[in-house]
Formats: sequence, structure tokens, C-alpha cells
Amino acid sequence: MGRLHAEEMVLNMGPQHPSTHGVLRLKLTTDGEIVSHIEPVIGYLHRSFEKHAENLEYQMVTPFTGRCDYLAAMGSEHGYAMAVEKMLGIELPERVEYLRVIFAELQRIASHLVAVGTFGLDVGAITPFIYCFRERELILDLFEMASGARLLYNYIWIGGLAHDVPPGFVEKTYEFLDAFDERVTEYNQILTGNKIFIERAADIGVMTPEVAINYGVTGPSLRASGVNLDIRKTQPYSIYDRFDFDVPLGEGIQGTVGDSWDRYYVRVLEMKESAKIVRQALDQLPVEGDVKSAIPRRIRPPKGEVYFRSENPRGELGYYVVSNGKNVPLRVKMRSPAFSNLSVINEIGQGFMISDVIAILGSLDIVLGEIDR
Amino acid sequence: MIQSLANWILSFDILSGMGQSIAWGISLFVVSALIFAFVAVNAIVLVYIERKVSAFMQVRLGPMRVGKFGTLQTVADALKLLQKEDIIPEKADKPLFVIGPWIILVASVVTFAAIPFSDTLLAANMNIGLFYVVSISSIVVLGIVMAGWASNNKWSLYGAMRSAAQIISYEIPVGITLIAVVAVVGSLNLQTIIQAQAGSSNLFHWIPIPLPNWFIFHSPFLFLASFIYLIGATAEINRTPFDIPESESELVAGFMTEFSGLRWALFFLSEYANATLVAFLVAIVFLGGWQSPFADYKGAQISLLIVTLVSIMWTIFVKTKVGRLSVYPLGLSLLLVVAAWLFPGFAVWLSSPGLFWMLMKVAFIIFLLMWFRWTFPRLRVDQLMYVSWKVILPISIVNLMGVAVWMWLSGEIQF
Amino acid sequence: MIEFVEEETQNPTVVIDASAMASVCTYLKEAEVLQFDSLMNLAGHDPDGESDLSIIYHLHSTVLDHYITLKTFTPRENGVVESVANIYRTADWHERETYDLFGVKFNGHPDLKRILLEEDWEGHPMKKDYTPAEFYRGMRIEKVK
Repeated sequence: MGRLHAEEMVLNMGPQHPSTHGVLRLKLTTDGEIVSHIEPVIGYLHRSFEKHAENLEYQMVTPFTGRCDYLAAMGSEHGYAMAVEKMLGIELPERVEYLRVIFAELQRIASHLVAVGTFGLDVGAITPFIYCFRERELILDLFEMASGARLLYNYIWIGGLAHDVPPGFVEKTYEFLDAFDERVTEYNQILTGNKIFIERAADIGVMTPEVAINYGVTGPSLRASGVNLDIRKTQPYSIYDRFDFDVPLGEGIQGTVGDSWDRYYVRVLEMKESAKIVRQALDQLPVEGDVKSAIPRRIRPPKGEVYFRSENPRGELGYYVVSNGKNVPLRVKMRSPAFSNLSVINEIGQGFMISDVIAILGSLDIVLGEIDR
Repeated sequence: MIQSLANWILSFDILSGMGQSIAWGISLFVVSALIFAFVAVNAIVLVYIERKVSAFMQVRLGPMRVGKFGTLQTVADALKLLQKEDIIPEKADKPLFVIGPWIILVASVVTFAAIPFSDTLLAANMNIGLFYVVSISSIVVLGIVMAGWASNNKWSLYGAMRSAAQIISYEIPVGITLIAVVAVVGSLNLQTIIQAQAGSSNLFHWIPIPLPNWFIFHSPFLFLASFIYLIGATAEINRTPFDIPESESELVAGFMTEFSGLRWALFFLSEYANATLVAFLVAIVFLGGWQSPFADYKGAQISLLIVTLVSIMWTIFVKTKVGRLSVYPLGLSLLLVVAAWLFPGFAVWLSSPGLFWMLMKVAFIIFLLMWFRWTFPRLRVDQLMYVSWKVILPISIVNLMGVAVWMWLSGEIQF
Repeated sequence: MIEFVEEETQNPTVVIDASAMASVCTYLKEAEVLQFDSLMNLAGHDPDGESDLSIIYHLHSTVLDHYITLKTFTPRENGVVESVANIYRTADWHERETYDLFGVKFNGHPDLKRILLEEDWEGHPMKKDYTPAEFYRGMRIEKVK
């Protein structure tokens, strides 16, 4: 009787699957339930954003940036606008800066709600997902009030905003903030402290800081490994240096530092911090100011290039814009955070079971739109 | 019951010339049809209830359009499923693919023959009733593995294998907890088990709170056993937190992925039949079956008064603080207590055993099962196994010994 | 081999030979005073339809908090650059993307294949002189007006 030879099976979590967040294909090589190799196959949502941008004028690229990361469109537009403004050297009115920060942080809350909700959904808790979307509806109502759209806004233009916020917006945002903090406590009660959830998420997919930095992981996934890198604090852009907020780090409360539970919990805490920032921005919002006054009539940045980083809900969103003096950019490269975040999954997912791979994928919070562009 | 129905048929003058065996045959057929009808209607009602309960827990409304408050939704769904194209994958194993769902359904429905719905409604009064129910209901594993294998789909196979491992592992603690109850009663006959829970006695034999003589209040060991049985039974019927085999977000639909139309409806039917079976068993074995919780009509009135007081406290201290006042606890209990005191006949009816109490208890357990499903995330398959073999099994064995010790201490058995 | 360029960009930019990329990056990562442990971005760039392609590396030191930009140039067809994928694992996918869209090969990359486009796509679209083929697997490729 020789040794039993068990073959490894290649399992395909195909592009259509309820738990891969978007059209992502994972080729899993498994021995029974234990995964030995994960190969993500992407490109199903490639829409050639960068090639399009080379044929569009600078201001016409803005709606396209929103469509790349459709769950955090305000963040994408904000990053692009700031990159071009840096090349042009524009000084923005105060009101524009404050409003942009408010929208960016509200967008961060909305995006983290989706991340938290779908992570619960991936491990089987269906109810918190519905609760998270209940809050998200309130935020989307605010966005609709301001820009007219719920998901893809074309609102943060180069040099200002598309239009000013309507009257009643500030009050409604205060109402939302007042209701929001206790909701976060509710999520903690129903999901964060749940023993079964902790068993599914703690010690799963542990990412050490060295692996995280080497693979280019940024954002909450990096901070969950204990690395204190938040672009809003290290390289403050816009007016983030005027606000008082903490950067939550993963501390390994329920397991190892850098496991999926930490990545989830950092997002929950970041929602609270973003609510703090929005409140401070609303308090300090200048009443006067024309949001369109700094928008240049013709956008022709001088020859040169810029690489501008901003803190997207998913991580470091970088825009590498090259100009040759014309009104059409020569090159727009979007360095999307989820692209690098996803590449780490083979390193941290080995040796776990298939259910754990799904939990790890959920905790990394990817959006295929910005991975494939 | 079959015999009494046969006698009833023969009691008609025109039909009396039929002969015993033919009358018996007809009544057997009628009783089987009744059981199957009960299972089918039960599934239809439960699907609707599950959707409504889950919707209310998730701050939504659920089905509202088809029929008043969406009551005809399941009927519409059933009609839709019946007229779907029957797709069998090309490389699927046809005989197993066809038979698999039927085995699961038949195994679930057949167990209802031994379940006493009330003191007179019982299809087959078997001496080995409990043993019959537990053993026949384990045949569903065969159907699940057949379905998963015949689909020729790696994901279905995963689901089927996980399910087989899960069901077989949880049979053992479930069986041992039931044996603890059998040790108290001394019989496997389900009707006897219920009749042994008549009357009222103290909580845990010595604490002087008068409670119905149900086995859940018999001793701390049986109290624990009821929870262990509930957990094990949730795993047996593949419901969250143990629904790894059909985990929606991981394996699409697990072993049910390739089945569409009527075949999928059969899976669904059998899932709710299993859930009902488990609820019946909990109600029979631990909660006194068709026995009423009230000893007599005076007991009914006083108990309802206490319940009203508790609901007043609950409304004042809990509901107003949360800010969600609703009519249900207070209004319902007020209605019941006023009716009981004004109409003694109502109180007499409340305190008499019957089908009503059995269905109440079953409904409560099913509500618990639904509550679990929409609250908890699901356990991973190895955690599931860990819970079964390393947590519940040792506890249930200790339980069995504890019950024996308790019975000796409380004087029920002598050495 | 190395040329230092000061431009209006915020970070100092250094132009490096394509064949020296790996050794330069190793030095940048391990030198005590530099410690560039994070590759923020790796992009390809086609300035116009004729001259050499350029590849830009944006490096960042999380420890010492300074930035540097590296540039290298390759010929338009069959350009080869030393891969830094074993030094910065970020570069693994970024180099695959640059190969996919610009046609630049990276020497020493563990698994250089297309990432965003299909495996059997012909051509490298981000080059300015790219024209798509007539057919792909029997389907006509529509011309964009």
C-alpha cells in the first residue's frame, strides 16, 4: 500500500459569483478545502479610461474618473481635480475647499458602509448589510441634493464645484450626523462583537507591515497592520490640516494585528472619524464664497507632470498627469489603490480554506471598476 | 387514528358492507394525503412568514403586492416554479439527478407519520416513535449527496460533502440528548413522552415556582439538553448559522445550484418540512407537546394576569426607552386577560390540551429558527465540526449522566 | 547611466538606464540614508508617436519620508527594462500592466503576461500610434468615431 496521493484541484471562482465584488476571477488551487495558490484574473471591466483621457479636454475627464471607482466617485473626482489644480497653480476659495472636504468625507462613510455591509454578507450575516444600506441611503440623498445624482456625480470640477449646495443641505447633514453615531454602535453590537463573526474573521489573512508596504497596500488595509500612514496626516492636501481627527490603527484586539477583523474594524472606526471631520467642516463652513469663481475658462496647464496622491476610502489614489501645454492631457494614469490591494491576496491567502479566502477578499474591499479602469 | 377513521367510514350504512381491510386502506390513503397536505400548506405558509419576519428584522416590508399584505406571494412563486423549463445539465448523472430531491422530500414527509399533533390526531402510534423519527430523518444525507454528485459541478460537490459531514456529525449529540429524555420517561413512544409531561410541578424539582411539568423545567440538565438539541437540530436542517452547504455568498447555492424549477421547489419544500419536524420534536420532547401550560381555568386566568403585568413592565422600561411603542405585547396580553376573566369558557379552552397548543409551540420554535438565521453569520465548516465534536458532544454525554444523578437525587428512581 | 534632472515637479527626478534599473532600486531600498521601501506608482508613457517610450517610477520612503522619481527610456518596439518585481512586489502587477498597454518587456519578471486585456490580444493600445486590428477572434472591432 503506497501513500495516498491526493491531487490538487483548480477551482474557478468565476467572474460571476455573489462574493467577488465585481467581475473578478479567482483561480484557486486547492487540496480539499485548503487553498495553496490564488491567482486573480482581472480585466473584465477594462474600459480604457486612460486612452479616453488622452482625447478629452481636462474638464471632460472628470465624469470618467468617477466611473472608475464607482463607490467613491467624489474621492476620484477630488483627486483628479487637485492634481490638475496643482499643475495650474490655482488658489481655491475657502468655501470650495470646505465643501470638497465635506463631500469627500461623506463619500468615505458611504464607501465604508458598503465595505462593512458586504463583508458581513460574505460571512453570512445578511441583516447588517441592510442596516448599512439604510444609512447609505441617507448619504446618497444628501449627494442628490447637492449634485443631482446618487452615485456618479460629475460635481467636483477643476477649480471649484459644479454648483453650490442648495439651502437646507447643511441642516440635513447635521441631522444625518446626529443619527449616525448611534448607528455605528448598533453595528458594533450586531456584528463586531459577535462570537461567530470573530471566529470567521480573526487571525484570517494576517498581513505583516513589511508585506503590506512591499506589495503597495494602502489605506485601511495598511493601517490595520499597524502602519500609521494616512496621506491626510502625512502629506495634508486641501485643508485637512485644519481638522482634528484620529487615524485608527489595527491593534489585534481579537486576534493578530493585521487580520481581517482588524481591517474590518479600522473601517468601522474610520466612519466615526469621518463623521467628526464633517461636523467640524460644517461648523467652520464659510457662508460666503462663489464656488465657480476659480474655475478657469480654458484649462491649459503648462508643460510638466505631476503625481498627486489623495486618500481614497480604499487607499492611496494617485493621479500621474502629464501635460504638453495643450488643452488635452498627454497622459493620465490613475494609480488605483485596489489594484495593489488585490495583488496581495496570494501572499496572505495561502493555507486557508475557501470560506476564508472569501472573507479575506471581503476585508480587502476592492472595487473592480478602479482595478480595471 | 387510521383505525378510528376506518371505523368512522364503516359506520355509514351505505359504506358498511365494505369490509375492514378496504376501509382501513381508504383511511390510510386519506391520512397520508392529509399529512402531505399539511406539509405542503405548511411550506407555503412558512415561506411567507420567513420573508415577512426577515423583512421586519431588516427594517423593510417584505412582499406587499401579491394579495393583501403579500399573502399570495408564495402561491405566485409556486405557480412560477411549476411552469419553468426543466434543465438537466448535459453531463449530469440523470437517474441520481432526478431521484435525489425526491429522496430528501420523502424522508422528511414520512417522519410526520409518527408525530402526535394532539391527543387523538396521530397517524401511527409506534412504540419506537422517537427512534423512527430520528433515523428516517437522517436519510436526507443520501439525497443531498446524490444531488451534489449528480450535478457534475465542483461547487455542488463541495456543498454536498460539507453537508454530509455536518449532518452525520450532529446526529450524535442530538441522539444523546434525546436519550437523556427517554431515560426520564422510560419509553420511546412520542405520545407517552407527552403524557408524562402533564400537570405542574416545581421548577427543577426543588425551587418552589409552580411551572408546567415540561421536561425543560425538569432539571438543569434537561434545560441544557433542550438548547443543545436546538443547536444540533439547526445544524441538521442546514440552517444558518450552519448553512455552509447552501451558503449563498460562497457557493452560489451549494448542492442546489444546478436544480431549477420544480426540482428546486422540492428542495425548498423539504427544507421547511425538516424545520417543522425539528420544531415538532422540540415541542414534543421538551415543551410538553399538546399539553397546555395552564393547569386549569383558574391557573389560566392568574397566569395571564402575571403575563399582563410583565408586559406592562416591559413596555414601560424597555419599549419607551427605545422609543418604539407598539401595540403587541401590551395590547395582546390585555386582550387575552380581559377575555379570560370575562368568559370563563375561554379560560377553560385555554387550559385544555389540544392541537392549538402544539401549533403554538411549533410556531414559537420556528420563529426562533428564523431569528437565528437573520442574526448570525455562518460558521466555517471546520468550526462547525469543532463545535459538534469537541463542544456539544462532551456536554451531551455529561448531560446524560447528570440526568441520571438528578433523577436519583430527586427520588424518581431508586437503586 | 544616471542623469539627474531638476524640473518643476515636486520630487527630484533621476533618469536611469533601462538595464540598470534593478541594481539602482536595490541600492535605493537598502541604503541607510535612503530606505525607499515603497513603490507608489509605475507608469508607462508615450510622449508622442515617434520618440522613445518612458517608464516612470515614483518611490517613497515610509521611514524617512522623502520621495524620488525615476525615469527610464526604451525603444518603441521590443524595449527591455530590468524588472524590479522581486524588490518591490508592487511592481509585479504594474509591470504586467505596462507590458500589456505599451509592449515593454521586463527582464526577470516572475510571470510577465497581459493583465487587463485578453491573453491573445494583438497590439499595445496605449501607444499613440496604435490602430486596432480588423477582427478579434472572428468579431469585428468597431472603429471609434
